[in-house]
Parts: sequence; C-alpha cells; structure tokens
Amino acid sequence: MNVAFTVLLFASLAALVVKAPAMAFSTLIDGASAAIVLAVKLLAIYAVWLSVLKMLEQSGLDKKFSRLVSPVVRRLFKGESDDAYNYISINLASNMLGMGGAATLAGINAMQKMETSSTTDNMRLLVVINATSIQLIPATVIAIRAAAGSKNAADIFLPTLLSTAVSTLSGIVICKLIAFFKNKKHARNATLTPTFDKIKPLF
Amino acid sequence: MISVYVLPVLLILLLVYCVIRRVKVYDCFLLGAKEGLSLAGRVFPYIAAIFICIEAFKASGIAFAVAEFLKKPLSFLGVPSEIAELILLVPLSGNGTIALLEDIIAECGVDSYPARCAAVIAGASETVFYIAAVYFSKCKSKKLSYAIPVSLVCTFLGALAACALVKLM
Repeated sequence: MNVAFTVLLFASLAALVVKAPAMAFSTLIDGASAAIVLAVKLLAIYAVWLSVLKMLEQSGLDKKFSRLVSPVVRRLFKGESDDAYNYISINLASNMLGMGGAATLAGINAMQKMETSSTTDNMRLLVVINATSIQLIPATVIAIRAAAGSKNAADIFLPTLLSTAVSTLSGIVICKLIAFFKNKKHARNATLTPTFDKIKPLF
Repeated sequence: MISVYVLPVLLILLLVYCVIRRVKVYDCFLLGAKEGLSLAGRVFPYIAAIFICIEAFKASGIAFAVAEFLKKPLSFLGVPSEIAELILLVPLSGNGTIALLEDIIAECGVDSYPARCAAVIAGASETVFYIAAVYFSKCKSKKLSYAIPVSLVCTFLGALAACALVKLM
C-alpha cells in the first residue's frame, strides 16, 4: 500500500507541476475536503446501521442467521471462532441485500475477530469477496437509469448479477489457490527445517 | 419496483422481533451512534489519504492519459472505448464512478450499448481500495498482501464479463 500510494502521488504531483503548478496544493486539500464530506456521511450511515446491528445482536437474530448460512461460511473460512462466523454471515447477507453500511461494519468486526484466531488468508478472502461486490439488486444504478428515461431501467439486473458472480467467484478461487500453494510451501519448509537445523552447526 | 420495499419492511420486521424479545431498542440506537462516532474517527485517516491521492491523480490528467492509452487493448477485449476511463475509476472512487456513469449516459443515451455496459460495471463493482483500507482499519497487522491485486484483477474480469453479457442479453 505504501509503495502504490507513493508512486501514484508522486506521478500525479509531477504531472500537476508540469500542467498547473498553482493547482497542485489546492488539489490535495480538495481531496481532503471530499474525504471530510464522505466521513460525515459515513458517520450518519454508521450511526443508523450500527444501531440496527445492535438490535440484531441483542435479539439473538444474528446467531439464528449465522446458523442458516453457516455451512457455506464455515467451508469458505475454515478454523474461525463462532463470533467471527456470526459477523461474516451478517456481512455477506447484508451485502447481498444492498445494505452496504451494515455490511462494512460487520466486516470490520469480523476482521477483528479473525485476527486473533486464524491465518491471515481468511481475512484477505473476506476483503476480496467484499471488494468484488456481491450485491443482488443494483438499486442505485437502476434508479439512475430510470431517471435518465430508460425504456427498461431494470433490465441490467441479470447481466449485473452474472458479472458480480464472475468477479466474486474468480476472487474466491484465486484466494484459495494462493492459500493452498502457500500452505504447501510452508509444509515443505517445515519438513526441511529440522534437517537443516541438524546440519547447521557444520556451517 | 419491489426493491424499494425490501429495506424498510425488513427493518419493521426487525423492530417487531425486538419488541417480542424485549430488546431495549432506544439503548441500541444510543450505543450504535456512540460506536459510529468512534468508528468514523478511526476510518477517517484512511479515507483522507486515499482521497487526497485520487484527487491529485484525477486532476493531473494521468487518469485520462492512461484511459486513452488503454482504449485500444481494451476494445480488443470487447470493451467499448467510451468506458475505458470508468474501468480505471471504479476501484478508486464510488462517487466518481456514479458521476462518470451519468456522463456516459448523457453522452451515449441510456439504452445504448456503452451506457448499458457502464451501468452493469458500476452496479457490479466496489471501490476496492476503500474496502481494503476500511476493513483492515481496526486490525493491528496491516498485512493486506495479495488482497488488493486479486480484487483488482477480479473486478476487471467482472467488467470484461459485463461487456460480453450486455452484448448477449
């Protein structure tokens, strides 16, 4: 992240200095202002959705829900705690229903729970699943198309669903492959190290 | 549209269920707002850093130049040239994506092929960098490693699929 950030910022600033040097600094401040606008909006979204999440937790619905989807979640994210499974279930379900706010919050909690118990591969898998979007109904886009006077605003529904299926499924497959090959390498190293330890004094 | 009713109806059902289970709803909202405040504070640095970088990236014209450069190879893969910039912007900024989608709709017409592709891509993708930063914001280790590259590749695959699917359907 640090490398990507520095490279992108450096390139942008360099181009800005050539193109419009007077704008360079104010552009950065514009960016920060946009971040503040979003943060305030997020604060409002969090306040509402965290409340809904609290209701879900205290009524015990989250556990019921988790049990419903747990076969899938447990298979995808092996070796996590029950708390983590609860949050992952809420995260995936609210994502599908288009409740982005609740999804993000449950996702952050799930990441925290997973950090204490598991390999980091599961955490990355959760991020990839979320970052490739698993929304069932693209409500915002349909609304925009309807407002622009489309003949059939909702007809993008099926292609959108299939497109997210492609990105999310390929994400899961790639993540699982990476984790699999990493573990294999690990296992091989683990069997190699004892022998190496034995001959180490020779060096 | 049924989708308009999904959320409010679910919320009402949840409220009813809470009353049955004797959950203190008012307290839930107090707690929610309180935690929301600290969460927004914790997430802000990540948003600010990314936004500063993206704003500079957009204003510098590099985004436009890269999109120009990618038009040829992308059209080879079946992506109409009008949406090259959208594909570049999608993982960076949600608001930017929506704004660009509206531009494309205004330019090409709502039911044209490029505008439909753009709509599917916008509806089927997330802002990868924002998600990755926010999800790891509460974790002590920031070892994202392959999370972002894999997400980007898959988002791109999804976009290619979108263009092909729109052509078919």
